[in-house]
Amino acid sequence: MIYQPPTGARDLLPVDVAQKHWIEQRLQDIFTRWSYHRIITPTLERLDTLVAGEAVRPETVIQVWDSEEGILGLRPELTASIARAAATRMVETYPQRLCYMANIFRRQPTGQTYGQHEFYQGGVELLGAGGVSADAEVLLLLSDALSNLGLERWHLVLGDAGLTRSLLWDFPKPLRGKVREAIAQLNHVELEQLPLEPDLRNRALKLMNLRGTPVEVLAQISQWSLDATQMAAVQRLKSVVDLIDGHPSVTLDLSLIQTFDYYTGLVFEVVSDSLSGQRVLGQGGRYDQLVGLYHPQSQMIPGIGFSLNMEDLQQVLMRQLPQRTAVSHWLVVPESSDLVAAAFRHAQQLRQQAVGAEPIRVEVELELRSPDQTRIYAKHRQIQQIAWVSASGSVTIETVETST
Amino acid sequence: MLTVALPKGALLKDSIRLFQAAGLDFSAFLDSSNRQLQIPDPTGRAQALLVRTHDVPVYVEYGQAHLGVAGYDVLKEKQPKVAHLRNLGFGFCRMSVAVPDSSPYRSAAEFPPYCRVASKFVNCAREYFDQLDIPVEIIPLYGSVELGPITGMSEAIVDLVSTGRTLKENGLVELEVLYESTARLIAHPLSYRLNTYGLQDWVEKIQPAIVGV
Repeated sequence: MIYQPPTGARDLLPVDVAQKHWIEQRLQDIFTRWSYHRIITPTLERLDTLVAGEAVRPETVIQVWDSEEGILGLRPELTASIARAAATRMVETYPQRLCYMANIFRRQPTGQTYGQHEFYQGGVELLGAGGVSADAEVLLLLSDALSNLGLERWHLVLGDAGLTRSLLWDFPKPLRGKVREAIAQLNHVELEQLPLEPDLRNRALKLMNLRGTPVEVLAQISQWSLDATQMAAVQRLKSVVDLIDGHPSVTLDLSLIQTFDYYTGLVFEVVSDSLSGQRVLGQGGRYDQLVGLYHPQSQMIPGIGFSLNMEDLQQVLMRQLPQRTAVSHWLVVPESSDLVAAAFRHAQQLRQQAVGAEPIRVEVELELRSPDQTRIYAKHRQIQQIAWVSASGSVTIETVETST
Repeated sequence: MLTVALPKGALLKDSIRLFQAAGLDFSAFLDSSNRQLQIPDPTGRAQALLVRTHDVPVYVEYGQAHLGVAGYDVLKEKQPKVAHLRNLGFGFCRMSVAVPDSSPYRSAAEFPPYCRVASKFVNCAREYFDQLDIPVEIIPLYGSVELGPITGMSEAIVDLVSTGRTLKENGLVELEVLYESTARLIAHPLSYRLNTYGLQDWVEKIQPAIVGV
C-alpha cells in the first residue's frame, strides 16, 4: 500500500517551505510598514458565509458536512471571512488595515482533473475607507510589496466593475447576463451572434475593446453618453491613475469584469512579464456592499483589498529563491558517549551567540561516528565548523573545506 | 516573439492561408518533407507551433501560444479559458448523433434510458442527453467511433460529420445535429488584454482574410 495525499493536495517539503517563507517574510515586512495587522480566520466557514457575496459559487467550494453545524466549506478566499469577522467582532473605529497569509481551497470545475486544490495566498483588506486615497493606498502598497520581492517587471491591469456594470444596463434585460459573460470571457464571436440591435452590438463590441493606456481609454470613454454617476466614476478612475503615476505598465481595461463578483468599483490584476507565458500573480478590487451583508444592522462599510497567489509568485521568482534548506553553522561532536551532555551544553552556548538577525544553526552529532565519518558527513551537509568536545572538557574547533 | 498554434490536419491549409494574408508565412508546414514542429516566419516577426487540434487551446490557455486556430467543436468540448476572437468560417462540420441503419430508433428522444453512446466528445454528448433528460452511458473512445455500434458495443455515436461519407460507408444514419462547427481564431486572454507583441494589430491584419461569416 502506498499512501499518497489526495488528488489536488501536495506536501510542501523543507525547500518549498523555505521558498514560501522567503516570499511571505518580504510581503509581511511591507504590510507591517504600511501598518496592516495580521488576522487569522478559520479554515472552515459556514457555506452560507462563503457564498453570501454571490462571488463564490457553492460547487467550487470543498464542502464538509457536520451533523450540528450543517454544511461547512473550506474557504476558497479570505475576503468573505475577514468581512464577516470585521463586521461582527471588530466594532471599532475605521479604517481597519488587515493582512493575511493563509491557505485556500478550490474545487476544480468538473471535467478538469488537473490543477491543485489547495493554494496559498497573501493579501490585505482595507475596511472602512471608501475614497480615492484608499484605492491609491492599496495600489501603492501592492507595488511596494512586489518590488520588495525583487519582481522587476509586471503589468497592472485596472478596471472599474461598477462603471462597466452600469454601462451594461443599456442592454435589454434578457440578454444582459449573456453580454456580461461574453465581455468577461473576451468572447467576440458570441457578441456577434447575440440577437442585438446593430447599435447595441457595436456598443458591446466597443465595450469589450475599451482598453489601452489610461490616457487613451479615459479619452475614449469620455465621448460616450454618460450619466452623472458614470461621469463621476470616470473622474474617480482618472484621480486614481494620477495618484499611482510613475508605475511602468498600467493598462486600463473596462472589460475587466467577472461573470460573478462582489466588486463595486476599482478592480485590478497583477500580470507577470514572464517569457514562459504571462500569468496572473494577484487580483483585487473594491467591495463596498460586502461587509454590510455580514453586519448585524446591515451597516454599509466600504472595503478594498488584494490577494497574491503564492504558487504563481514562486514560479516567476524561482531564480531568486533559496534552492536548498539552510546549512547548519556548527556540528558539535562528543568524542565519546559520556560527553553527550557536555556536547548539548556547548551547542546551547553556540546557539545563543546570534550575530545580527540570523539565528545560529547548531546540530549535535547523534550517531557517534568515527572522526573521519563525521568529517565526510559535515562536508556532505556543507557544515563549515566542527566543535570536538573532548574528555578534558576542552573544545577543539575544526574548519571543514566545503565546496560552495 | 508572437507565437501562433496551428492545428494539424483538415484546418491547416486554411489556417496558413489566413496568416499569409496578414504577412506571416508558415507554409513550410505544408511541405511533406517537413518534420519541424516549430518554425519561424521568414521575416522573423513570429513563429508557429504545429500541434494536434485538441492541443491548440491548451497551448493558448497556458500562454505558450498567443494566437491559435481551433474548431468550435474542440472549444465546446474542452471549455478552455481562451478569448474567442473571430469565427473564421472554414472547417465546417456538424456534431451529430448517428445509429446503424438497422436501429429501431429514428430520433434521439426515442433512446431508452441507460443506452450506450460512444463518443470522442464525451462532454458534448453528456450535455446533449442531459438536456433531453435521457440518462445514457457515455463510452469514451479516441477514434474510429463508428466501430462502437458496428461491433455492438454501443447503440449510437456522437461524432463530427463533414460530408457524411464515413457514416454511410459504415452503415450508419445521422439522426440529430447537436450543433454546427467552424474554425475560430482564439487568443490567450492576458496577452489579448495587454496587447502582447501587438496582438490586436495582427488580428486586424487577419480580419480582411476572413470570408463570408
